[in-house]
Amino acid sequence: MARDTITGGPAVSLDTVTPRSAGSTLRTVVRVGAPPRSRVLLGTVLGSATAVCTVALLACSGALIDKAALRPPLYTLTVLMAAVQLLALGRGPLRYGERLVSHDAALGALGRVRMWLYDQVEPRSPAGLANCRTGDLLARATSDVDLLQDLYLRGISPVIVAGVTSLVAVVAVVVVLPVAGLVLAAGLTGAGALMSVVAWTRQHRLGATEEALRGELAADVVELLRAAPDLVALGRDGDYLEQTLASDAALTRLACRRSWTEGAMSAISVVFTGATVVALLAVAIPAVGIHRLPGYMLAVLPLVALGAFEVVAPLADAVSRLTHHVEAARRLLEIADIPLPVTDPADPAPTPVDTDVSLQNADLRYGPDHPRALDGLTLSLPAGRRVALVGPSGAGKSSVVNVLLRFWALEDGEAAIGGTSLDQLSQETTRGLIGWVAQDTHLFNTTIGANIALARPSADEAEIAGAARAAQLGPWIDSLPRGLDTPVGEQGAQLSGGQRQRLALARALLARAPVLVLDEPTSGLDRPTAQRLVHDVLTATTGISLLYITHRTGEVANFDKVIVVDNGKVIGDIDPKASCPVCRCGIWPDHTHGCGAPSMSSPDPSGRASRA
Amino acid sequence: MSADGGRRGLIDPRLARRVALTRRYLAVAVAVGSGATVCLVAQAILLGFVIEHVLLDHASLTSVVPQIIGLGGAFVLRAACSWAGEWAAHHTSAQVTSTLRRQLIARAVALGPSWLATERTGELTSAATQGVEALDTFFARYLPTAVLAGLTPVLLLVFILRTDWPSFIILAATVSVIPLFMVLLGLEAKQNATHQWARLSELSATFYDVIQGLPTLRAFGRARAGRRTLERANEEFRATTMSTLRVAFLSSLALEVLASVGTALVALFLGLRLLDGTVHLGMALAVLILAPEVYLPLRRAGAEFHASAAGQAAAGRILDILDDGEPAAADRPAPDTDGTRRPPEVAASPIWFRRVEFRYPGRSVPVLDGVDLTIDPGEHLAITGESGSGKSTLLWLMLGFVRPSHGTLTVGGVDLRDLSLRDWRQQVAWVPQLPYLVRGTMADNLLLGHPGAGDRALTRSIELSGLAGLVERLPRGVDTLVGEGGVTLSAGERQRIALGRAILRDAPLVFLDEPTAHLDADREASLRDALTPWLEDRTVVVAAHRRGLVGRVDHTVTLVGGQLVDVAPTGWPETRSLVVRP
Repeated sequence: MARDTITGGPAVSLDTVTPRSAGSTLRTVVRVGAPPRSRVLLGTVLGSATAVCTVALLACSGALIDKAALRPPLYTLTVLMAAVQLLALGRGPLRYGERLVSHDAALGALGRVRMWLYDQVEPRSPAGLANCRTGDLLARATSDVDLLQDLYLRGISPVIVAGVTSLVAVVAVVVVLPVAGLVLAAGLTGAGALMSVVAWTRQHRLGATEEALRGELAADVVELLRAAPDLVALGRDGDYLEQTLASDAALTRLACRRSWTEGAMSAISVVFTGATVVALLAVAIPAVGIHRLPGYMLAVLPLVALGAFEVVAPLADAVSRLTHHVEAARRLLEIADIPLPVTDPADPAPTPVDTDVSLQNADLRYGPDHPRALDGLTLSLPAGRRVALVGPSGAGKSSVVNVLLRFWALEDGEAAIGGTSLDQLSQETTRGLIGWVAQDTHLFNTTIGANIALARPSADEAEIAGAARAAQLGPWIDSLPRGLDTPVGEQGAQLSGGQRQRLALARALLARAPVLVLDEPTSGLDRPTAQRLVHDVLTATTGISLLYITHRTGEVANFDKVIVVDNGKVIGDIDPKASCPVCRCGIWPDHTHGCGAPSMSSPDPSGRASRA
Repeated sequence: MSADGGRRGLIDPRLARRVALTRRYLAVAVAVGSGATVCLVAQAILLGFVIEHVLLDHASLTSVVPQIIGLGGAFVLRAACSWAGEWAAHHTSAQVTSTLRRQLIARAVALGPSWLATERTGELTSAATQGVEALDTFFARYLPTAVLAGLTPVLLLVFILRTDWPSFIILAATVSVIPLFMVLLGLEAKQNATHQWARLSELSATFYDVIQGLPTLRAFGRARAGRRTLERANEEFRATTMSTLRVAFLSSLALEVLASVGTALVALFLGLRLLDGTVHLGMALAVLILAPEVYLPLRRAGAEFHASAAGQAAAGRILDILDDGEPAAADRPAPDTDGTRRPPEVAASPIWFRRVEFRYPGRSVPVLDGVDLTIDPGEHLAITGESGSGKSTLLWLMLGFVRPSHGTLTVGGVDLRDLSLRDWRQQVAWVPQLPYLVRGTMADNLLLGHPGAGDRALTRSIELSGLAGLVERLPRGVDTLVGEGGVTLSAGERQRIALGRAILRDAPLVFLDEPTAHLDADREASLRDALTPWLEDRTVVVAAHRRGLVGRVDHTVTLVGGQLVDVAPTGWPETRSLVVRP
């Protein structure tokens, strides 16, 4: 069943994902982050009430002044005066409440979107994401999630508030003078629609280009600065500077062109306000003349219009923000579209007692149009034995890790532990049996102790210290003033390469898995450090099955068996105790390393792949 | 706050000095803002006039048509002002950010690779991209509102003072209290906001850390625990944020209350005085219409305040880099200012180090300390030493990336300082430890140092640098995209591309920096065989800590503590040996 996800699923490439419409993208993200309905409702009600208050305050003040100008007795004005005071005092607290509620909802949504993203990334990590520029994708996803916190506050909420307030204002005016209500409705809808359309098309016409140019320029800048030594040495810095400046010029031209539309957006709202006010006067003045409209309402109508347009004006901004949100949401949903590389069986088999690990004719590829990373590979790791897997980079060594740790499923063949196929075990069971030291160990930004304890949170202090000692970290940790409580810094920045790998080893030892897979633990270490690490690994792991992956052949002398892989298959094994009698300088069967000795195993130095 | 921001200077004076455009923009913004305010006043007066005449004098629509047309005209003019203002803001923003970005990049490139490598590429990159973006927000969003906040209330208050002084007193009193409230509440809010911002970045960093570490978490069956950690962090962040916001929003509550109470008071007092007949209806309506407009710019500026802080900070950072880049200290690595002399032929000129010392600025221990060395034409020299012993620095000195702090470095008797570095580097092929692949195809990258080379030269460089197998495996051969956004290549493969670049350059002087750090033994050996004939007639300097690509080595020198301690005939540590059993 896990196999189906690979053969049946689409390619693990972002380019093949079908584009979604803006509406469905937004709907999905809104659903993902949806705060409790009561919160949204409360926020909207408070926001609209604030806006209605603003308009009503203007309207009542206008009515008050108009009425007062007719010199009626004071008592006829008391209701209006009270209303003005009440609205004036009420607006602030309403607004305060609205901001608190909407920010709370936005933060809640942010958290939910973040957890959703975690749930999407988790089952696909790391092999499922390997093809899509992981670092870039994840960094972008993190900032996209941060961007989405504005979705409610500055995207959706202003649109709803503008709609509700316009509706209330129009209804109120219709009650007073239906024609005027129609005029106001036409003005508000016209302005809102026009601004939205301009903002939306602007974003679609210029926005995409601008976004692309912006990305281009950022990439150019990064490249120019990072590649500076190479470029200067090759005499090409001038060309690349030119190119960067040209990208900058293109972006600036576009931004200048866009500034016209930005201006137009703000002009639209003012022109529509003016037109509506003038039209309202044109219908209201005759209505006053025929006593269809009380005179004091004459000031109220234009003031309501002025107030209502104040609420509609931010629509332009909200719409252009929404377009950004759609882009961010679309990028996030792309992650969810990547097929799951491995799924758990419906009815997992029990944990096997035996821990012999074997791969039988294993085929693996990372996508339909990718070459085979494993091509009929067969190997076995009997319990308690130590096997080294050597081969050049790209030989398929890390794919073996991906299979054993269930990060990726086989296309064909079988991977098994204790006679049970890994397909039939839950991923958790498999990973409980097989420990891992990665090539580039991730250290979390916490203490040394916590990084080790991660493997088994129930471990006590003594067990953690024991694991650290077994990994030969003891003297170093003792030399630290805070010992195991010393922070490792962001991504373990404060540790040397050797210390990092030993910490990873301590972590793996603490997990007490019966099988341990070490994936190039010495890459990036200098030779003496690497030799010491290998020695310490062998000392610390007595009794544990060990699969040691490396391209450094000098490290495998003390293993029970050394298997050489290339192009996804086993091409032979080496007796680690013997050595080349002629040159004492290399291990490869074909002696292409230039020692001058005749080939020991194969007369054909180029046919390595055919020699399985 | 924005009002007193105006007094202190809206724009960093250093920024104004560098970008003359900003001053011109301020002038335009003030002009346009004044125009819009005048239109606003005209609107209010005309609207008041029309209503007064219809209500009190029972005027018909036709008799007030001119005023209504005037009213429409005022709106149109205001729309034009608003258009111009927005246009100017965005236009300026585009120009200013472009200017700064150009200055920044040009400066960084002029300061040269040593500055870039040793100082802070990351910071520089983020300043040139995100920093400049933040500045865009500052210019396009905050600055226009800030200018209006300083301008419009003052102009409106002047008009209201001349029209109706009691209303002026109410408005002036409330408006002048606003900055006071802002300072009192804003100080705390700002502090909280900074705190909160830090906490948000922390949360984002935690999120990124957990996501990056997911393989590890999964391998140890801790993915669910990671989720719980994140969930808790989210919830804590929400709770603390809300408690700060409860206080922070008080300042905006105060602003809202003052604005609406001010407007209401103006309305009530006007109403009472209208009953007495001490004011005219038209003027009263005009003042009432303008009252909320006095507060509006301040409220807008308050809403954009966060953009101001981010923009100011970004501007500061960029200006710091621009100003700090000046090579003040004498011992600073040299900026790439070229001499003018044409370099002598490398093939006939020895390179001499005479008592060369080099130290990075601010470091007390020199990297190189009194190095004497002669590299004869055609010689193959190996430099060994621990990592960090100064091998790469030695190569950088010869590349002209850095200059000796003391002592001289000459080529054929000419000091490297006096040479045109561009011409000098034409004769050098350098394979760095961590070469950078530019965006483009494999061929683009190989041809980087010699864009005009033909297909045959390209094929030959691919063969010599051991890339043939890789090219065969790539889906589109040499036309496959590599580098950022392309196929991911291993460190070894990148280094072989750099080797291919060097081969294509066909330069008489070859510098190899740890050329086999990322290669496995067999590849190293086959590369050595292929390269030996190519290297034969060239001057070769290889920095490495073991036998690498260079077959013939005439001399080996070792760097310890910045000094050459040993000049000896070749002697490399050999690799361990094993035999394959077929």
